[in-house]
Amino acid sequence: MSAPIATRPQFAGQRIKRLEDPRFLTGHGQYVADIQLSGTVHVAFVRSNYAHAHIKGINAEEARKDPRCFAVLTGAELAQAKVFLPGAQNAPLPALAIDEVCYVGQPICAVVATDRYAAEDLAETIEVNYDPLPAVVDTLAATQPNAPKANLAFPTPGNVFFHMEHATDGIDDLFADPQVVVVRQTFRTQRQTGMPMETRGIVASWEPGTASLTVYAATQMPHGLRDTLAAALHLSQSKVRVISPDVGGGFGMKAPVYPEDVVVSFLAQQLGRPVKWISDRREGILADTHARDGLHIAEAAFSKDGLFLGLRDHMISPAGAYPLGLSGAVAETVLATLVLPGPYKVQQYAWQIDGVLTNTTPTGTYRGVWGPAATWVQEGMIERAARQLGIDRVEIRLKNMVRKEEFPYHSVAGVVYDPGSYQESLQLAMEKIGYAGFEEERRQAAAQGRTLGLGIACFIEPTAMGVMGDEPLTVPNDVASIRIEPSGQVIAQVGISSHGQGHETTVAQLIADQLGVDVQNVTVLHGDTAAVPYGGGTGGSRSITIGGGAAILAAQELRQKVLQIAGHLLEAAPEDLEIADSTIQVKGVPGRTVTLAQVAQTAYMLPQKLPQGVEPGLEATKRYTPPPITFSNGCHAAVVEIDRATGAVKVLRYVVVEDCGKMVNPMIVEGQITGGVAQGVGSAFLEQLVYDENGQLMTTTWMDYLMPESTDAPKVDFGHIETPSQNPGGMKGMGESSLIASPTALVSAVEDALGVWVGALPLTPQRVLALAEGRQEDAGA
Amino acid sequence: MKPATFSYAAPRTVEEAIELLEAYGDDAKVLAGGQSLVPLLNMRLAQPKVLVDINAVEGFDEIVEEEGFVYVPMRVRHVQGERSPLLREKLPVVSEAVHQIGHPQIRNRGTMCGSVAHADPASELPAVLMALDGRIVVKSGDGEEQITPEDFFLTYLTTSLQPGQLVTALRFPLLPPNSSAAFVEFAQRPGDFALCGVAAYLHLDEGGTIAEARLALMGVGGTPFCAEQAEAVLQGERPSAALFAEAAETVSQEVDPDSDIHASAEYRRHLAKVLIPQALEMAAARLGEER
Amino acid sequence: MVIPVETATITVTVDGRPYTATVEARKTLADFLREECGLTGTHLGCEHGVCGACTVLLNDSAVRSCLTFAIQADGQEVMTVEGLAAPDGTLHPIQQAFWENHALQCAFCTSGFLMTTYAFLKENPNPSEEEIRETLTGNICRCTGYQNIVAAVADAAARLRGEKHTQPVGGV
Ligand SMILES: Cc1cc2nc3c(=O)[nH]c(=O)nc-3n(C[C@H](O)[C@H](O)[C@H](O)COP(=O)(O)OP(=O)(O)OC[C@H]3O[C@@H](n4cnc5c(N)ncnc54)[C@H](O)[C@@H]3O)c2cc1C
Ligand code: FES
Ligand code: FES
Repeated sequence: MSAPIATRPQFAGQRIKRLEDPRFLTGHGQYVADIQLSGTVHVAFVRSNYAHAHIKGINAEEARKDPRCFAVLTGAELAQAKVFLPGAQNAPLPALAIDEVCYVGQPICAVVATDRYAAEDLAETIEVNYDPLPAVVDTLAATQPNAPKANLAFPTPGNVFFHMEHATDGIDDLFADPQVVVVRQTFRTQRQTGMPMETRGIVASWEPGTASLTVYAATQMPHGLRDTLAAALHLSQSKVRVISPDVGGGFGMKAPVYPEDVVVSFLAQQLGRPVKWISDRREGILADTHARDGLHIAEAAFSKDGLFLGLRDHMISPAGAYPLGLSGAVAETVLATLVLPGPYKVQQYAWQIDGVLTNTTPTGTYRGVWGPAATWVQEGMIERAARQLGIDRVEIRLKNMVRKEEFPYHSVAGVVYDPGSYQESLQLAMEKIGYAGFEEERRQAAAQGRTLGLGIACFIEPTAMGVMGDEPLTVPNDVASIRIEPSGQVIAQVGISSHGQGHETTVAQLIADQLGVDVQNVTVLHGDTAAVPYGGGTGGSRSITIGGGAAILAAQELRQKVLQIAGHLLEAAPEDLEIADSTIQVKGVPGRTVTLAQVAQTAYMLPQKLPQGVEPGLEATKRYTPPPITFSNGCHAAVVEIDRATGAVKVLRYVVVEDCGKMVNPMIVEGQITGGVAQGVGSAFLEQLVYDENGQLMTTTWMDYLMPESTDAPKVDFGHIETPSQNPGGMKGMGESSLIASPTALVSAVEDALGVWVGALPLTPQRVLALAEGRQEDAGA
Repeated sequence: MKPATFSYAAPRTVEEAIELLEAYGDDAKVLAGGQSLVPLLNMRLAQPKVLVDINAVEGFDEIVEEEGFVYVPMRVRHVQGERSPLLREKLPVVSEAVHQIGHPQIRNRGTMCGSVAHADPASELPAVLMALDGRIVVKSGDGEEQITPEDFFLTYLTTSLQPGQLVTALRFPLLPPNSSAAFVEFAQRPGDFALCGVAAYLHLDEGGTIAEARLALMGVGGTPFCAEQAEAVLQGERPSAALFAEAAETVSQEVDPDSDIHASAEYRRHLAKVLIPQALEMAAARLGEER
Repeated sequence: MVIPVETATITVTVDGRPYTATVEARKTLADFLREECGLTGTHLGCEHGVCGACTVLLNDSAVRSCLTFAIQADGQEVMTVEGLAAPDGTLHPIQQAFWENHALQCAFCTSGFLMTTYAFLKENPNPSEEEIRETLTGNICRCTGYQNIVAAVADAAARLRGEKHTQPVGGV
C-alpha cells in the first residue's frame, strides 16, 4: 500500500525543532510527580527483605494508630477483594504478597499517609515476620533438578516454566559434516534495567459521582494499563481513564502493568480520594522490571570458503520470581528466534528456549529486547569464523548478506525481510570508520605503545509489528483521528504515546504536509484513554511507522474532503487545486483561493454550501495495520583504545549507518541513535545489576549501578541510507537499533584490539585486563 | 527516599556548636556540606535525632597560611580548595586531588573537613593528608587537639571522633625545599569514588637521594593505607624508574584490599602497582621542574 | 544554647520572589520548591546526589537540591529553571540553544542540565568540548547520549559571548 506523496512535502524529512520543547525548557512539563490533586494522600510500600520466605505475620498496629495514617493494605485484603494482576500461564500475580515472598523488593504492604515523609515513617514501623525459604538466584542453578523451587505457588513442577524448540531438517547432518567448520561460544549478557531518569509513578483518583477511576501514570501504554486495571479491579473499561502525562523516559521498563499500579488504584477507590505513589530510585532498582541476563549457547557451521550454513542457539533466560505477561524470559528469546540469522542467508537453523524462575526481580523488556544478544551471537559467530578461516571480516559479511536484488527475502526463521541496504550500509560504515587504512593506523599506534581495535556490528531491526499469530504481543495496528477546527487549526489524536520520542513534532510534520498547513498549526494529542481512540502506545519501534502511517492515511482522507469542498466553493475540479499555507488555490490562478478556515467553517456551519452527498464536519479517523514486520537495518563501527595497564577502554571513533526508510525528522532519528549508543556503552562497559548468593541486590543506588556520563559517551558520526518501506510515507521504525548494535560493535572492537573472544558482559576494566593478560576465566568468558 | 524526622540547629559559633554536640552526644550529627550525610539520611541509613548545621558558623571559611602550615577550616568547600591560589601555589597536590572529588555540584557544597570526617576509604583527601603528614584539628569542650591521620582513621567510615568533637580544620605543612607531592587515581567514570588512588611525597637531600618518601593509598582497605615498606625501599635511593617499579612491587605485596562489587582485591592490588610509579614519577618530575 | 527545632517558618527567595512556609526540618529544598512553591520544574531522579536532575542555584552556585534542606536555605536566594526565561517568556540563550540543538528528549533531566550550564558558563564563558563534558558529568541523561547537549552548551556559550551561534543540529 503505497501512499501518494503529498503535493509539496515541506516538513517530512526536515530537521524541524520540536514543538513540545518550550514547555520542557521552561520547567513546565507535567510529569506524574507534578500532578497535584487536592486532598491527595501518599503511599509507601513495605517490601520484602528476603529473596524467598513465608510471611508468618504482619504487625501494623503502630502504623494504624498513627493520626497521619489513612490506611494499611495487605495482600490478604486484596485477595479477599479478588484483586490480582494477570500473569503468564494463568497464574495470577499477587499485587501484594499473600503468604510467600519470592524476591527482595516485592511489595508486601502499602501504607497511606498525609505525605510521603510520613508514609515512610509508618512503613518503618510495620513488622513483617518472615520464615526464610531456600532461594535460588543463579539461572543455570535454578534449572537443576534438585534446585529449590523459586515460587512455590507457581503451577509448574520445576523452575523451568517455559520451553520451546525448533530445528530445520538436516541441521544435525550439517553440523556432523566433516567438511564444515564449526565455531562455538557461550554469550552471557548481564542483568540490566531501562533506568529512565524519571521513576515510575501513579496518581489515582476515584470519582464517586460517576463511580469511575482516573489514573495518571508514567506508562508507555495507556490503553494497556487501562485494560489491565479495569480487569483487576472488576470495573468496566469505560469507567477507567488512564492519562499518561509527560513521561520521563521508559525504554521498555514502563510498558508493563505493575503491582503498585493496581494497589494505588484500589486504594483510591477504597479511600475515595486521590492517592499518589512516586517510586524512589532505590525501590525502582529493586522492583522495576529487570532485563537481559540471558545465556546463549551458540554454535555455527561455515563452509571452508566462509558461507554461513547453519546456526544453533540454546537460550536460557530468567523470568525472575513471577513471569509477567510479557516476561523478559519470553520476549528476549522468542523474538530473538525470528532474527538470530540477522542480515545473513543462513540455511539451517535450530533453537531451544528455556525460561526459568529464580528468586530475583521479574524481568521484562528493555530497549532492543531480543536484539542486543541476538546481534552479539550473529556477529560473534561471523567474527569467529572469519578469524578461524582467515577471511577478511568485511568480506565474509558481504558474502553472506542478503543482496539488494534478493528482497523480499524469506529467512530460515520464517520471516520476510523487506527491502533494505545490508551490504551498502556495511560498506558505507567501513568507509567512514576508515577500515581500509586501519591496519596501518593500528601499527602506528602500536609503535607508540597504544592498543587499538576496530569493531563491527551489522544489524537488522524488526520494527512496527503487525499481525503475527493469534496471541499478539502488542496491538498490531494503530490509529489517528484528525479534525480541522473552524479556525483551520488541526488537532490529531493518536494512539501512540510519546515519552521522549517527539511525536508531537513528527506526527505533526506528516499531517502538515498532507493538509498544506504549517507544522505549528497541528496539535498532536496522545496519552489519554478518554481523548484518543484505542491504541498500542509506544514500544517495539512501532510509533512512527504505525501511528504515523495512520496519521498519513487520516490526513489524506481529510485532504480529499477539503479539496472536494474547496472545489465546490471555487467552482473548480478538486484535481485542479493545490493546498499551501492553509490556503486552497486553483493551480496557476493566484486570485482564486479559499482558506482552510473558510472550508472548515463551511463544513461545520454552512452545510447548505457543501457539495451534494458530502457530510458536514471535517474530521477523519483511520487505523493502519502494517505488514507483520518492517525491517530497518544498518551498521555500527567503533575504534577503541585499550589501556593495557588498567584495562580501561576509550572509544575513539564511532560510526552509525542507519537505514530506517524515509526519515521524518533526521534530527530526532540521530538523537535516538546517540542515546542508544550511549546506552550501549553502558551495556558493554558499565552497567550491571548484581545479586549476592542470598538474593540480595547489591546495586540499589546510582553509586553502584553505573550509567554512562557525558565523558563516557562517544561522538557519533552518521551515515544515512533511505530504503523506503511499503508503509505510508515509506518509514521504518528505528527506536531500538542503536542499542541493538552498539554493545556488539564495542565488544567486537575490544576483541579485535586484544585478539581475544568475549563471552560475558560488562567489560569492566578488571575484566578487560584479565582478557588482555589471557585470563579468560577471570574475564567470565 | 525521605529522611526520618530530626531536629535542627544552626549555631553561629564553634562554641555553640560544640555545646550542642556535647548536649546531644550520640544523638547528634554534624551537618557540613551534606554531600555524604544527606544521601544516608534520605535512605534512612542514618537517623540522628539532632543535626548541628555548621554552615551558619561565622568564619572558618578561608584557607590560610600560618607559620609554615596551611589551614583548611571546616566551612571551606571543595571548590575553594580546588581554586585556592594559595593551595595551587604552595600545595598543588591538594587542589589536584580535590578536583577529582565527585562532580562540580558536589564540590560546590561538600567541605574538605567533611570529607575527612566522613572517612570514606575511597576518598581522596584522607590519603593526601596522610602523604603530606597533615593533621586533623579537632575541638571539643576539653580544648583543641591535632590528630595524625594514622590515629584518626580507624576503619570504614569510622574515625576517632567522639561525641562532642568537631573537626575545625585540616592542617597541611608547607613543602620543605627539595620536596614535592603528586596524586593519581583510577575511577571507572570521572566523579566516581576511585577504585584506587595514590598520594606520593618525595623529599630529596642535597645529593639527590631520597631523604624521605611517603606513600598513601586509597581504595585498598578500610582506611587510607600508609605503604611503609615501600617507603623504606625508596629511602636513601636515587629516584629512578627501576626504583619506583620496585616500590610498586613492594606495595602490591603490602596492601590487603577487599573485594566488592566494583573491583576484586586482586584488581585493586594491580591498580596500586600501576599507580605508584605514576605518582612517584609525577612527584619526581615536579622536583625536576623546581630545580 | 541554640534549641534544635523540628519545624520552622522559613523564607526563601526563589527566582526573585520570597516564599514563606512552615516546614519540617527534614524537608529537602527540592521538595520545598516542588510542593510549597509549586515549582515542579526541579526534578528528582535519584535523591542521593548522583544524577543532577535536581540542580538549582543556591546563592549563585549550582547544588543538588535533594541534598540540601529547605531550612538551610532560609533567608537565601535560590534560582530554578522557572527563573531562566525572561518575564515576557523569551527563552534564555541557553534554553534556545538546547532547543535548536535537540538537546532534550524526555526532558526529565533538562532542568538540571540548564542550571548546571547556567552556572558553568558564568565562570567559563569559552569552554572547550573537554571542559564541557567534564562539567556535565554531574548530570545524567539517559535519552540523548549527551552529543547534542554538549553541542548545545557550546552553542549557548557562543550566543552568550555575543557571537553568531554555532551550527545547530536542528534549525527550522
Ligand atoms: C555523587 C557523589 C560523588 C562523590 N564523589 C566523591 C569522591 O569521588 N571523592 C570523595 O572524597 N567524596 C566524594 N563524595 C562525597 C563528598 O566529597 C562529600 O562532600 C564529603 O565526603 C563529605 O563532606 P560534606 O561537607 O558534604 O559532609 P557531610 O555530608 O555534611 O558530613 C559527612 C559526615 O562527616 C561528619 N562531619 C562533617 N563535617 C564535620 C566536622 N567539621 N566535624 C565533625 N564531623 C563532621 C558528618 O557528621 C557526617 O557524618 C561524593 C558525593 C556524591 C553525592
Ligand atoms: S535527584 Fe538530586 S542528584 Fe539526583
Ligand atoms: S532527555 Fe531524557 S533523560 Fe535526558
